[in-house]
Amino acid sequence: MNISIQETVFFALAAVIGLFSILTVTTKRLLRSATYLLFVLFATAGIYFQLDYAFLGAVQLTIYAGGIIILYVFSILLTNQQADEKLERLKNSKVLAGAVAAVAGAGITLFLLLAHPFGPSRLASGEVPVKAVGTALMGTSKYQYLLPFEVISILLLACIIGGIMIARKR
Amino acid sequence: MFDFSIITRWIDQLLRGVMPDAAATVVECVLIGLALLLGYAVIALALIYVERKVCAWFQCRLGPNRVGPFGLLQSVADMIKMLIKEIIEIKHVDKFLFGLAPYIVIIASVTAFACLPFGRGLQVLDFNVGIFFLIAVSSIGIVGILLAGWASNNKYSLIGAMRSGAQMISYELSIGLSILTMVVLSGTLQVSGIVEGQVDGWYLFKGHLPAVIAFVVYLVAGTAETNRGPFDLPEADSELTAGYHTEYSGMHFGFFYLAEYLNMFIVAGVAATLFLGGWMPLHVPGWAGFNEVMDYIPSIAWFFGKVGVMIFVIMWFKWTFPRLRIDQLLRLEWKYLLPINLLNLLLMVIVVVYKLHF
Amino acid sequence: MKNYIVHFIRGLWSLLVGMYTTLRVFFRKKTTERYPENRKQLVMFDRFRGELVLLHDEQNHHGCIACGICETNCPNGTIRLTSEMVTDEAGKKKKVLVEYQYDHGSCIFCQLCVRTCPQRTLAFIPTFEHAVFTREKLVHKLNREGSSVAPKPVAGSSITA
Repeated sequence: MNISIQETVFFALAAVIGLFSILTVTTKRLLRSATYLLFVLFATAGIYFQLDYAFLGAVQLTIYAGGIIILYVFSILLTNQQADEKLERLKNSKVLAGAVAAVAGAGITLFLLLAHPFGPSRLASGEVPVKAVGTALMGTSKYQYLLPFEVISILLLACIIGGIMIARKR
Repeated sequence: MFDFSIITRWIDQLLRGVMPDAAATVVECVLIGLALLLGYAVIALALIYVERKVCAWFQCRLGPNRVGPFGLLQSVADMIKMLIKEIIEIKHVDKFLFGLAPYIVIIASVTAFACLPFGRGLQVLDFNVGIFFLIAVSSIGIVGILLAGWASNNKYSLIGAMRSGAQMISYELSIGLSILTMVVLSGTLQVSGIVEGQVDGWYLFKGHLPAVIAFVVYLVAGTAETNRGPFDLPEADSELTAGYHTEYSGMHFGFFYLAEYLNMFIVAGVAATLFLGGWMPLHVPGWAGFNEVMDYIPSIAWFFGKVGVMIFVIMWFKWTFPRLRIDQLLRLEWKYLLPINLLNLLLMVIVVVYKLHF
Repeated sequence: MKNYIVHFIRGLWSLLVGMYTTLRVFFRKKTTERYPENRKQLVMFDRFRGELVLLHDEQNHHGCIACGICETNCPNGTIRLTSEMVTDEAGKKKKVLVEYQYDHGSCIFCQLCVRTCPQRTLAFIPTFEHAVFTREKLVHKLNREGSSVAPKPVAGSSITA
């Protein structure tokens, strides 16, 4: 029995992620579900910080916890008249379909995780410098991601225009 | 200039001498947490006192002057009152979310507080994305406010929370962009790096015009971000009683109250760090004697002095300007601050690329 | 576009003017009266209506002829006059004030009594420390012990409260 602090923290975070993921999908109240999801995202950010990848952790916090969850809460408050009412139980067939999908997804993920040969890290240990992240995002050579970055920004632009179009159509 | 890391290193070695590394780390975390919370509470008490005094002076009054000399113990007395007050349970609310909301707000605030550089070697969290991390955690507070407003089961609270959400999301853009402008100038996101970069002059002077514009925009957006001053629509005592914390009592309300004041401190602290050099003394390149004299003032005094000035300016806003309407608020952000900010960012990039800064 | 910039600069200027104004107030002398400490030198405005008095001169004469106009004019029934008929040396019957009772607790300080007094012998004085422990103590007798009506109206004579 020799568990280091790192492992303790990791298992604690993993337990939080697992517990709150289950709570997110099983709770009967919409807003609680969003809150549990927030905890899952916090714990995920915690794992990034543990991996010394502070940039991704901060992005996780600001985009997901600070942005997406707030959009969720906003949309729940704005659209659902009965945000405080409990949801009704799902039909058995739907529960079954969901379970099958979950098991299949877990299986694929496990298979990929176990079968993938993880190479040694290309980066030196310690925090990933922001400069490296920046050049990787803005470069065009191998292991650099300018094209996906721009494609995603075009996708977002399309989303914004679509949203405005839907909103303007009375 | 005294380096506080001597003390922290000494404590570190002392602890590692008597216990294994892992235990020492845990003990250090607990110690740092305690120190942070203590500093947080003391600063909040001081700020509440200062706010009441400054508010009174702006209104030609004297402010609290009964409890203790010059009313200095007033906020301590308030704190004791707050601590022993009953936490009222509201019927028909989601108790879990109702209880959770103040904690989310206060945790976000404390975490952002931990990123501030209080003095040379006196900084708790110093990631290489420090200033970005600070914005990230401070944005979590909005979730707490939204949950508080919704869980209160009160339409005024909900309106306050929605206003707060819209306002904070909008103004976060301006804060982010003005901080980005300064990051372009400094070339680093790390808080300690930003402070070290101002050893030969503060960025407000080094970056001249774009830095001054960014400074003003940051102050306006920061005031809005803390739900204060002319931007206090989420609370709007006269319309919404107290907005999202109407239904809270006792220490739960105390958490919102503390977080509000500490958010002001954090905004002021970030302004001091980015524009006024954090704990860095006023250095003028070429004036060696002057710089030497300035170095004798301890770094922590420099930091708190600058933050104090910034806090005074934010309070000055609050007690001068009337409250904005929600449409005016959003127009100010989207039609004025944001375009100015984007142009300013461009200007700063030009200044940096052509080395036009000092 | 020109409008936009002009509006922006004008708005910014007006904000700065506002901040300059409040900053001047910030450094102005504060108007707060620190009451229990400055008791000795605290002066009330002479228009302040603290308490109704019946004016007396040095010879302990007041001007009240017990006509009862103040009593009928008082909206709250605050004033209660007790009078008696006295026959003087000349054999004339005359109404004489026995007690001028004034209930400070129910007075609304409307000054109707003072305005309507034909003798101008009523006035409000700017005292303000009126706190007492029971309501009975608020009922004052305004005519002094042993005072009598003045031979001539005392209006304009030395005011002693």
